[in-house]
Amino acid sequence: MGIFSPLGTRREPFWEAVLAGTPGVGPITAFDASALPVRMAGQVTDFDAKLYLDKKDRKQLRMMARPIQLAVAAAQVALEDCKVDKAALDKTRFGVVYGSCMIPTELPELAEPGKVCVEPGSRFLDLKKWGTEGIHAIAPLWMLKYLPNMLACQVSILHDAQGPNNTITENDVAGILAFGESLRILERDRADFFLVGGAESKINPLSLTRQCLFETLSKRNNDPAGAHRPFDKDREGTVLSEGAAVVVLEELEHAKKRGAEMIAEVASFSTGFDRARDGKGLARVIRQAMAEAGVGPGDIDHINAHGQGAPVTDAWEAAAYREVFGSLQVPVHALKGQTGNMGCASGILELAAAGLSLSTGIRPSTINCPNPDPACGITIASGPPARVERPCVLKVTLTQLGQVCAVVLKKIG
Amino acid sequence: MARSKRRIVITGMGAVTPLGLSVSETYQNCLRGISGVGPITRFEASTFPTNFAAEVKGFDLSKFIAEHKRFENCGINGKFGAAAANQALANAGLLPTDPDGKASDRTRFGLYLGSGEGITDFEGLVTNIVGGLDPDGKVDNKKFCELSLRNFHPLHEAEQEFHTTPAHLADLFDLQGPNYNCLTACAASAQALGEALELIRRGDSDVMLVGGSHSMIHPMGVTGFNLLTALSTRRDQPQKASRPFDLNRDGFVLGEGAAMLVIEELSHAKKRGAHIYAELAGYCSTADAFRVTDSHPDGRGAIACIAGALEDAGVTPSQVNYINAHGTSTQVNDRVESLSIRKVFGAHADKVPTSSTKSCLGHMIAAAGAVELILCVETMRNGMIPPTINYETPDPECDLDYVPNQARKAVVDCCLSNSFGFGGQNTSLVVRKFAE
Repeated sequence: MGIFSPLGTRREPFWEAVLAGTPGVGPITAFDASALPVRMAGQVTDFDAKLYLDKKDRKQLRMMARPIQLAVAAAQVALEDCKVDKAALDKTRFGVVYGSCMIPTELPELAEPGKVCVEPGSRFLDLKKWGTEGIHAIAPLWMLKYLPNMLACQVSILHDAQGPNNTITENDVAGILAFGESLRILERDRADFFLVGGAESKINPLSLTRQCLFETLSKRNNDPAGAHRPFDKDREGTVLSEGAAVVVLEELEHAKKRGAEMIAEVASFSTGFDRARDGKGLARVIRQAMAEAGVGPGDIDHINAHGQGAPVTDAWEAAAYREVFGSLQVPVHALKGQTGNMGCASGILELAAAGLSLSTGIRPSTINCPNPDPACGITIASGPPARVERPCVLKVTLTQLGQVCAVVLKKIG
Repeated sequence: MARSKRRIVITGMGAVTPLGLSVSETYQNCLRGISGVGPITRFEASTFPTNFAAEVKGFDLSKFIAEHKRFENCGINGKFGAAAANQALANAGLLPTDPDGKASDRTRFGLYLGSGEGITDFEGLVTNIVGGLDPDGKVDNKKFCELSLRNFHPLHEAEQEFHTTPAHLADLFDLQGPNYNCLTACAASAQALGEALELIRRGDSDVMLVGGSHSMIHPMGVTGFNLLTALSTRRDQPQKASRPFDLNRDGFVLGEGAAMLVIEELSHAKKRGAHIYAELAGYCSTADAFRVTDSHPDGRGAIACIAGALEDAGVTPSQVNYINAHGTSTQVNDRVESLSIRKVFGAHADKVPTSSTKSCLGHMIAAAGAVELILCVETMRNGMIPPTINYETPDPECDLDYVPNQARKAVVDCCLSNSFGFGGQNTSLVVRKFAE
């Protein structure tokens, strides 16, 4: 796995921070956010994409906006982490599928042309001038820096991955949908080896302002570390953060043959649409996933939840858990309490955490949920990290519009 | 490798395109060789290097669906999508209110779109940036945020997100099964069709609404493509600008619109006595893994993709009797696509009519693959192949039979449709007449 998150980079430091319950959200340092109602975020600091690229490839970075840089860096880390001999891979059976988001243009790039075409103080953009003068003040490859499919494409180019390649653009479920699709492609024997990931950064003036206009966000600026409160009585909204997560998904025999370390087995995947957003659709999808995995509620050690931290969304997510697990009190781990919401990257990051719980035998706890909302009526994983006692972890991801996914991971062996 | 497969058939189609507000109008106008291209009317584009495009004309969502108000803040892409989806579902008899629709299990009815983003408030964005410049002419982020909070329209911004179109359609049409949106540039809706085919084959769903909707005919889109020099700048003859495979081609022409299909597992379709238009028989996706700007010069990814789709469908090149080419009218695409087809089809390549309907429709970007598959289906049903218009001067490097300028009568029972995208995304689909 390859990780860039507010909790650190690479597998071990990330996992240590998860187990320690370290908060990843802090005041925004990336730009002056003082005019916004939200001034905190989970940030990846000191990120230098150059360190993760061969010298000959570094000039490509100017064609990559930040999410793309995070995506290619995480892919590189994942390839190192899985110790694959790249030269030995069948390149035509090496696939790349990413979840991706809207990538905002960097403001200075439009400032120069803008100056030519907007009178000071005016709200009118002179498109006639734009067409003759403004347009020529922009770099020729400008658009390619922001296309959502460039995460997966740049990764395929850097690593000569000629197999199936897709970009899922479905908000917070995009990463897990990418994961599910890759799983199916492996099952149908169209590939052996996949880099599956997500990368996103909304910690810039344009994205964050837009999100402030339409998303339910926490405004607990005086307590950033405690702002994202999944399933807590006092939750008020999500906290945006940035990062990338990539996992290597590989067919079992292929992994065995190269003596790969196996972190977890993917037992199933399911997805659907919770039309009423009342948890019934999500419950159905979870049941489908468990049926495909051939396991029951009693086999689930813990739920690795979406945990949006928003009043309405957490309530319907919890309703699904109540419906499926009844009185079983399966503990719910919501990593976003620590990381904030990394958008399409969060699903894969959380899946990585679910895998690490199975491989290390330790279940992390949810932070920032001191008073579980009685209306949610679920059991929050709390206290010190606990031993994993059952063979499976259920990973759930959703969007606030109702797209839902479930994955069951199983302990190896 | 032989695999037992559930067979998947097409039972509904809908389209909103620069050549018409329905499938039949679009197809008939392609056969007539009409160009949908004209001056850009959606914004003041008169001084842009490219000031023309193939726009959808006379579109009014309220003529298609009663619930048009929920799309009020959506980009025009979402509106096109809703109209085409409604047509496709009505055509299949699977609207929630149809008898078959009521009888169907909506939890096994999903959606996979290759749908683009909403339309950026470009004037708002640029004026906020300029308004937020400090005295040295540098962007003052704080001022930009202040202006943007005040000036951007919250609901409009929310509706720009990629997942809004699939969510609207799933909610409106009660599609509770798998819900995906992919955006692999110009290959998106073809890839959506392919992956949806695989979802049904595997049994994850019985029916899928699949397709694409997109418009990049906005200042940001035209600026971006003009800078890449990907668009034709034949300003004096806009209707001649999209000229795939012609020696004097100079880039593609933006189109827009939506195309949607209902695809369905065969026994499910038969049980309800659905009209079967065709069988979606094969799919492959590959990556060039070469450059973000150009296709691989030897067609490495495209060749593997075309061959993979034929193999998946279990057909040999000699069984294919029409190819709907990606045929964008750019120098590189048309050359590489031609040589890739020749490589896979060998001597048979000369006998397979290969046309690019982008010559008439322009390039509908994310929606292109789906509309082109629909045109393949119509070609099989009607026995008439749509031409490549504006084909005047042969290019020695493009040496296939491009069905120049005139529609052609032919018995067609198996088609290949190619879609290739920026970044080296390749998708090929095989569709054939349904036979037991």
